[in-house]
Amino acid sequence: MKDAAAALPPIVEPDERSAPFFEAAARGVLRLQRCERCSAWQLPVRRRCPACGSTALAWADASGRGTVWSHARAHRASHPALRALLPLDLVVVDLAEGVRMSARRAAGSPPLRAGDAVVAVFEPAGEGLALPVFRRA
Amino acid sequence: MPAHPLRAATAIAGLGLTETGRVYGRPAADFAAEAVWLALEDAGLEKRELDGLIVNQGISGGPDLSLALQLGLPELRFCTQLNAWGSSAAQMVQVAALAVASGMARDVACVFADAPLRSGEGAGAAYGGPRGRAKGMAGLAAAYGYGGPIPWYALAAQRHMDLYGTTSDQLGAIAVSTRAWAAGNPRAALREPLTLEGYRASPFVCEPFHVLDCCLVSNGGACVIVTGAERARDLRRPPVYVHGMGQAHRFDLGRAERDCATRTPGVESGAAALAMAGCTTADITMCQLYDCYTYTVLVTLEDYGFCKKGEGGAFVEGGRLGPGGALPTNTGGGELSSFYLWGMTPLSEAVIQGRGAGGARQAPDNRRILVSGNGGVLNHHATLVLSPEVV
Repeated sequence: MKDAAAALPPIVEPDERSAPFFEAAARGVLRLQRCERCSAWQLPVRRRCPACGSTALAWADASGRGTVWSHARAHRASHPALRALLPLDLVVVDLAEGVRMSARRAAGSPPLRAGDAVVAVFEPAGEGLALPVFRRA
Repeated sequence: MPAHPLRAATAIAGLGLTETGRVYGRPAADFAAEAVWLALEDAGLEKRELDGLIVNQGISGGPDLSLALQLGLPELRFCTQLNAWGSSAAQMVQVAALAVASGMARDVACVFADAPLRSGEGAGAAYGGPRGRAKGMAGLAAAYGYGGPIPWYALAAQRHMDLYGTTSDQLGAIAVSTRAWAAGNPRAALREPLTLEGYRASPFVCEPFHVLDCCLVSNGGACVIVTGAERARDLRRPPVYVHGMGQAHRFDLGRAERDCATRTPGVESGAAALAMAGCTTADITMCQLYDCYTYTVLVTLEDYGFCKKGEGGAFVEGGRLGPGGALPTNTGGGELSSFYLWGMTPLSEAVIQGRGAGGARQAPDNRRILVSGNGGVLNHHATLVLSPEVV
């Protein structure tokens, strides 16, 4: 499945604001925005911290660790480029940094349920892009 | 405690429902206009008497405020567009009731229409999400395979299952009881009997959801006319009084500690509506609940307090919600089996039941009808308590 994913046309295209995330993912690091004033981690990417109102948001390496919030198995592709990967094991992870991330379970890794401890690994997503996915820690 | 001053101060006096389902070749605005005409005729009102209009558009574009032009309404005292997704229909009644009670308007038409189905395309295509290449962090979800609302609701249901042991068959019980009601509704799209075995055999869309956990997608329009309680008594149809109204909105904001999925704003919205109506869940004689998915019904029943958190699965088993059950719910077949016009599906059925006009599907006791609307992914909630009784 990893090879299948690498051969896929990418669905997502980095833009200026998200470039640090994708650049880090390509080298196997989960990187997120963090408020320099109150230290709150951010997801989605923002211009202003909703916790303290500061505009001083910088990118920082996250632990890649978290717990499963929920999971679902998609039997239909939401995008034509994903048909070869069906079924898709969607997993939403509450990261140790306090933000919730919607992602997928790592291909071929054991099933997960809510509360399981997980860690991020990275799967190719076409054209040199990689996406963080999660497997049991 | 004195009664709430707006309890039963307003009523729904007119209902217009166009043809619904796979009706092609008509834009949403056309369905909207027809629904208003039908509601006026139903209420016995002349078009020139209408002085308020609230418009809610679906996902296909239109209707908008130009509906006034299409209908030929030269002057209005109250006219606006409103959108909080599936909670919009109940919200329109609330806003209309406030406008009527304040004297800003006398007769307010609340209309929703949508035409997302196109000939030759499946229902999934209508709500399927973008097909192109998405940019930036906003495109991440699409890259992982999250498209349209189904995965998000499936995740919510699965969390409930993981936390409380809710089973697939318990979700199926809702699909089965809703279909049993649909058999009595000539308008319902799916009327053939459904068993739990049939539910289990229906293909998965996104586990834990089978196809039969998901609502239909329909073209059509619906309108209700809200007016003052006294005036409603002089009109053609028996009034269905607005006894209680509530709203609440909750968001997880991407924060790990928050959970809208298994604890929705139905908690606050339901409590507010029941308090205004001066009743409790024990007084509710039937429910018309937003059933975009089977799970939405289960979690709404819990959050309204019909059972404890986590016990919704056991609550819906044994035919409690179906014909002959203790809590008749979605008596027209709901969005799952009849038609999907957002919150107009439960609202219109509440009006029909409140009038005692349900025919073969009329539930035995219509004295207190609880109506829910739900929008976003369990983010926006609106509740009404309706009744044919003044007190």
